[in-house]
Amino acid sequence: MEKNEIEQRVVKVVCEVLGVTPEMVKPDSNFVFDLGAESTQSVQLVAAFEEEFDIEMDSEEALAVETVGAAVDFIEKYVNKN
Amino acid sequence: MTQTKCPEEPAGRDRLDAIFNPRSVAVLGVTATPGTVPYDIFYNILASGYRGVLYPVAPGKRSISAVRAYRYVIDVPDEVDLAVIVFPASVVDKALEQCGQKGIKAAIIISAGFREVGAEGAKRERRIREICDHYGIALIGPNCLGVINTDPKTLLNASFARKMPPRGRIAFLSQSGALCTAVLDYARAKSIGFSKFVSFGNKAGVTEIDLLDYLHRDERTDVILLYLEELRDGRALIDAARRVTRGDNPKPILAIKAGRTPQGADAASSHTGSLAAEDAICEAVFREAGIIRVQSIEDLFNSAILLAYQPMPAGNRLAIVTNAGGPGVMATDAAVSAGLEMPPLTRRTTDRLRRALPASANIKNPVDVIGDARADRYVAALEAVLADPNVEQVLVILTPQSMTDIDDIARGIVRVHAGTDKPIACSFMGASDVASGVAILQAAHVPHYAMPEWACQAMADVQRVRRWRQQRPEEVNGDLAVDREAAAAILEALPAGYLREDQALEVLKAYGFPVPEYRLCRSAEEAVAFAEQIGFPVVLRVVSPQIVHKFDVKGVALDLGDAGAVQEAYQGIMDNVARVRPGAEVLGVICRTLIPPGHEVILGAKRDAVFGPTLMFGLGGLFVAVFRDVTFALAPIDTGTAARMVREVKAYSLLEGARGTEPADVREIERCLLRLGRLVADFPRIAELDVNPLIVGPAGKGAQVADVRIRVD
Repeated sequence: MEKNEIEQRVVKVVCEVLGVTPEMVKPDSNFVFDLGAESTQSVQLVAAFEEEFDIEMDSEEALAVETVGAAVDFIEKYVNKN
Repeated sequence: MTQTKCPEEPAGRDRLDAIFNPRSVAVLGVTATPGTVPYDIFYNILASGYRGVLYPVAPGKRSISAVRAYRYVIDVPDEVDLAVIVFPASVVDKALEQCGQKGIKAAIIISAGFREVGAEGAKRERRIREICDHYGIALIGPNCLGVINTDPKTLLNASFARKMPPRGRIAFLSQSGALCTAVLDYARAKSIGFSKFVSFGNKAGVTEIDLLDYLHRDERTDVILLYLEELRDGRALIDAARRVTRGDNPKPILAIKAGRTPQGADAASSHTGSLAAEDAICEAVFREAGIIRVQSIEDLFNSAILLAYQPMPAGNRLAIVTNAGGPGVMATDAAVSAGLEMPPLTRRTTDRLRRALPASANIKNPVDVIGDARADRYVAALEAVLADPNVEQVLVILTPQSMTDIDDIARGIVRVHAGTDKPIACSFMGASDVASGVAILQAAHVPHYAMPEWACQAMADVQRVRRWRQQRPEEVNGDLAVDREAAAAILEALPAGYLREDQALEVLKAYGFPVPEYRLCRSAEEAVAFAEQIGFPVVLRVVSPQIVHKFDVKGVALDLGDAGAVQEAYQGIMDNVARVRPGAEVLGVICRTLIPPGHEVILGAKRDAVFGPTLMFGLGGLFVAVFRDVTFALAPIDTGTAARMVREVKAYSLLEGARGTEPADVREIERCLLRLGRLVADFPRIAELDVNPLIVGPAGKGAQVADVRIRVD
């Protein structure tokens, strides 16, 4: 899958789960500081990414990801491994 | 962005005022989920009736509880005095950085996940400290419950304590956040109100020292309560607490110190090292500071309510009014044990009581109004003893009997209480039957105790405060004749380790200690010649840089009465040392006069990682080694502290001349303690110093240093 496509789909999921607008979501956006993710929403985000990309991530590592850009890189590893 | 100055802002506004009396507060990291800390903090400020302006900073949210929210604090269109940060620890630095950019001068970081969780957290804490230093932000926390100010001009509950406590004259400072909520609940049940309530957590910025100074100036605070787990700077605490507890506008400080200080685990090789228990030093710090140390939350409030709501008694004389003989006797015992006096009542008072009470009543102190007493009898007895010039405070005891009109008695006491300038405490014994009466007393701020003994203990604490205020602060004795340069020539030139005995004695001599005449003799002939010069009997003690414990190598010979004995002993010492410690470099022996017998005492000093130089005093032999009968102080000391140290050991009566012995020269011990305090304060290189023993002669005859050990690092 192209990285561009992963980025778009990550932004879509982030907007759905956190209730933010696409303009707010930048590669260096911190899920907590810039997008207001609460701890339960972080868990929801991981689950939503798994569903969106049909992957299964290491949840501890996934929850340690702090920014949108880092999430794209993290997901890319799983998506393109399969 | 233009910043408008508030017209009512006083000149020189205190930097901590932005924490306690902010005109606007931003809560950073608010979430929309009730029941979570980030939401509840915001909601508590809103619900407490805060008088300023509140801004939630909640990225991705349009509003929180119908209040418009901002994505970043820098987006807030107005000036913000205080930032309350509830973001997770991982992004607190980002939030704080923005606070600095916005010019916010005070912050409370509620979030946990800093120094208390290990190395990664400690790194985060260093980072936030750097940001605060860079922007000049006064910081409370991190890892804390928050701050409460009940001042009606502010009404701020920036904490996750469920309810705003009632207003009162007591300030509570706590290092533990969880304890705070329990204390608030406990205090509420007893109708105890607060002026300020601060949980300062990891104290990365503002410390208890800053808070004590602030509360000293706070017009709404009369009593300060402190819960500490870790003391970082004992000297600064003493200085701050002394400013608060005496002088102008004195306010009592009551404290609980739990846990241990982070003292370095230096291997203890001397008496002082092994005995300088942190807790004992802490005790000494509190005493020097005029802080009343208590052991439990119960004790803390027992004493606080008396100090906060009752006038300071003129003295320690107590009258008791009771309707039960047994509790009256128990309370009398407790009062006397606690150092209170139970004075006889004047003739005028007993006459008045005789007229007001039945014939079977006891009209002497403790006054027994008898089991069937109703409110009129209680009130008459209370008024009579309060009018007595011998009485300076009163304890009223009630046991619930079938004819006791508890609520009326409580109301009667409240009425009398309002018209007297002497303190009154009550003990309505029991629980269920007396509950409504107790509530009446508590609502009127008449201190109530479930047990009369607790009342007596609290009254004794009030006496400690009274005595401390009366005690004149004494300057460190500046007229000690010391030769600092002579001591420096030795102490500053040596490598780390123990000083030789001759060097250690030189140091003591330079600081005016009574050191017997001695010489380092490098041959038997030299020792004999010196002994003949100073007169027999003499003592020889081996001198070697490798030998600290001279007796262990049989390197000491005592009571040598003539030249032959000295000659023989010298050779004997050399042989012993060569056998037991082959390879030790032996420089010779110290030859000195034999000190006549006397009281043997130990003077010690140790540099403590937290408190700096500390002093120890105890009586020699079993008293220190077995009974641990020692006392501590922070160096340098004043004459009052020296006198206190000597008198505080339990074996002091031996120095006074117990069992027919002559009293010892206590003044000389005090002078030596003053000199020791000065010496270790002047030379931070001294890690440990033991004068063990100092042999003390009868009063006026002085003392002599028999042995000394000094370690420098």
